Amino acid sequence: MSVTVTPEAFRFVQFDSGTVTRVAQELIAALGIDRPVHIEIDETTPLGRVRATIGAADGDAIAISVESGAFEDSRRPRQQSEAATAVSLGRILLRVRDRLHGGFGEAPADDDLELRQMAAWETYCAGRLARLGLHVNQQRWLYNFRNRHGFTDTADAGFHQLWAADGLTWGEVDAISTAATVRS
Amino acid sequence: MRKFFPVEELARDERFTQITMRQSEADPRTVLLAEPTGKRPKTNRLTPDRPDASEAARSLMHGIFVGEIQALEGAGRTCFDFETGSGDAPDTVPFALKLDMARQAWDEARHVEISVKLSDWMGSEIGQFAENTVLFEVACSNDPVLRLAGVNRALEGLAIDVFTTMKEFGDMAGDPYLEFCEDWMLADEVTHVKMGSDWLRRVTENDPERRKNALEFQSVVDKIFSFGGTRSDSNESPIGLARRFRELAGFTNTEVQEIADVSLKALEERKAFSAASLNDGDTEHSETGTGTEQLADA
Repeated sequence: MSVTVTPEAFRFVQFDSGTVTRVAQELIAALGIDRPVHIEIDETTPLGRVRATIGAADGDAIAISVESGAFEDSRRPRQQSEAATAVSLGRILLRVRDRLHGGFGEAPADDDLELRQMAAWETYCAGRLARLGLHVNQQRWLYNFRNRHGFTDTADAGFHQLWAADGLTWGEVDAISTAATVRS
Repeated sequence: MRKFFPVEELARDERFTQITMRQSEADPRTVLLAEPTGKRPKTNRLTPDRPDASEAARSLMHGIFVGEIQALEGAGRTCFDFETGSGDAPDTVPFALKLDMARQAWDEARHVEISVKLSDWMGSEIGQFAENTVLFEVACSNDPVLRLAGVNRALEGLAIDVFTTMKEFGDMAGDPYLEFCEDWMLADEVTHVKMGSDWLRRVTENDPERRKNALEFQSVVDKIFSFGGTRSDSNESPIGLARRFRELAGFTNTEVQEIADVSLKALEERKAFSAASLNDGDTEHSETGTGTEQLADA
């Protein structure tokens, strides 16, 4: 499927739109996504938020908006990291695929997700990306999950359940998240 | 052994990437400017309810880690770089001052170890974020009194602000390790500032001009250590000014207010620079391959 990236050239960061395109194409193939994807990068902010809209512009395209920090090499500021690009795109594309493939119909819109729900879904995505072979630091995601669910054994159990899972529905993801917030 | 070690030759292995303050400040991107849509938050203070809280805390923790390394190096150099003497001239320091610097180096080494363990706990790797070397640069003065002003009062004062922010973050997030470790390190930093204030006063007791120069140097360093307003009383800054702990460390109300004023000024200058860069789109004056300060990302 086609991938387009804007801008093609960058002024504030030293990113390469060709690299973004190639990484996105590899992920789309690996994840079995059959829609065109447009990626728009906001290079004016170092923040790292990534958002997606399904059914943008021509009807079935996936529009992804990215803040430059999401693709940045934290060791070399303003330079692009291919690993960060892959993980950031992989996480959002998995969430898009979840929404498209059913079982996530009742999931709130991204902007309406509670922080704990977002952490749970991100954990579910990060675990699957790790099994795809991407370099994902599990402890980083465990720390994020704990910040949203508590620093407890119950929360850790919920994290590991999500990390190892595949084929969950939104109801199951949310139920694990809810159970993980119960103080042990 | 070599004396007056230059910042360019600090010992680091291949895991570390260093940037200078000039490179850091050359990044025109900012989180401080409001968008027309108003999407950006009204406060940038580092609290767990921020969507990017975990990432911002990890980045700041790594900044603390490299800051502790540089503080260790600075205190250690002050022990060694100057001969033992009365301290009346800039080439000597009293033996008791060296003992205090040695004790501080011991504390900083322990802080480095604690910071490594906390970074592991938060899912960071050593060297995962760029190391800004500005902290050590203020420890390179040929006058030990300027080092006391730059390191013990400005740098360790910044540490008080940062540790207070992280301690409160740990408390709010319910992270017992983060809160506990930051609290213990904070206690040491208050002592380090107090040592610097006491020695600066004693060594310059009969030399008001030297004391004046040292305090002016500290004011310059305090502005640099505001990192373009990353630390200030404003809610736009991720790190607040820890007024109470600064008082405990011996800063007067007037001194704290001066730091607050200079930090706010740095914030306004940073916003003006970013607005100008975004408006004219001219980044050619920036250095290629340079970057933003990771603290600023928080």
